[in-house]
Amino acid sequence: MTKLAAHGLAVALPAGWEGRIQKRAVTGTTEQTHSVVHLANFPLPEQRDDFGGGVTPLMRSPDVFVVLFEYGPDSLGTPLFAAQGVPLVRPDMFGSKRLQRPLPGQLGCQQFFTANGRAFCLYVVAGSRAYLPRIVTGVNAVLADLDVGP
Amino acid sequence: MTTAILVVESVVLVLLTLLVAGLLRSHAEILRRLHALGAGLDPDADSTPISLNRSVDLRASDPDSFAAAVDVVGAGLRDDAVHVSIVGTRHRTLLAFLSSGCLTCQGFWDAFADAPGLDLPDDIRLVVVTKNGDEESMSALRGLAPSGVPVVMSSAAWTDYRVPGSPYFVLIDGSEGRVRGEGTGAHWDQVKNLLRQAADDATDDTREVRIDRELLAHGIEPGDPSLYRTAEQISGQSRA
Repeated sequence: MTKLAAHGLAVALPAGWEGRIQKRAVTGTTEQTHSVVHLANFPLPEQRDDFGGGVTPLMRSPDVFVVLFEYGPDSLGTPLFAAQGVPLVRPDMFGSKRLQRPLPGQLGCQQFFTANGRAFCLYVVAGSRAYLPRIVTGVNAVLADLDVGP
Repeated sequence: MTTAILVVESVVLVLLTLLVAGLLRSHAEILRRLHALGAGLDPDADSTPISLNRSVDLRASDPDSFAAAVDVVGAGLRDDAVHVSIVGTRHRTLLAFLSSGCLTCQGFWDAFADAPGLDLPDDIRLVVVTKNGDEESMSALRGLAPSGVPVVMSSAAWTDYRVPGSPYFVLIDGSEGRVRGEGTGAHWDQVKNLLRQAADDATDDTREVRIDRELLAHGIEPGDPSLYRTAEQISGQSRA
């Protein structure tokens, strides 16, 4: 299994999964951008918003879209990011009201955490409740292989 | 004095003649090579695909000669890491191995800028693969890269798929996890025709399997005499 690695993040993807690790281009002199990871078990479109705009409307029932969005150092130590280490997900964490962009049938899950001195939001979109057990197993297998460097 | 001038002039004339002959020969060689690359100046020239040292046919005429299918992992054009799934997918992938500098590739970069105009079957995903950043012009690639098509810089993929040069195309069936055809062409229309032929070949394979199954279901096995009757024998039987 080949590891996808950039910007201090590395992840091994199982067959049928693909991913991007990127940093948005800086548009202003004072702006700082951080890493964004997009993973999916379906072809990722080239035009994507950070939290799945342009992606989730393309999803089918068995599909899953995973975002790992990094926040700046000012988020470190805040209560929202108190959880330490890359989390795993459970079916009861998913709900239609946790979606950034609600779409019929889809479920979302958001977890904030700190790993290796870096603050992240893990955002997962599941294509349907029917496939949720299989989706959770797949996502956790990927998260277990996620390395966060300093 | 006059003799000396004449001798010098003669020598200069001979040297100039040799120089012109050398230039003409060099020019002819350049034209010949351009023609071989599909960029010849003759408008009536046959625009057949470039012949490389491998098959120029995307049809699966010799599947055993194809490289093993693997996912493409490399760098994107915006300081990103990219993993494009090829094996274990529900769709087919057409890998287009291009470079920023090759003359023939320019037509493909232009064609890919209008992704809907490519008229690709719905189940085929187009992915452009170039060599790594140290072998490519990053600024040129950023200018050429189409917005709707993934572009991955991966010299490893060129090695994995045994790509002989650019442009080169490899068609992979994700569900079977294997290469279905590969080859090259000078224009997108040629590649599209080859894709169509590859699809027809696959249909023929399916039809053959279905006929074999139906014959076996009716007790007709390979070597059965009924398979070798002539049209005359069959028509004679039907008249009787």
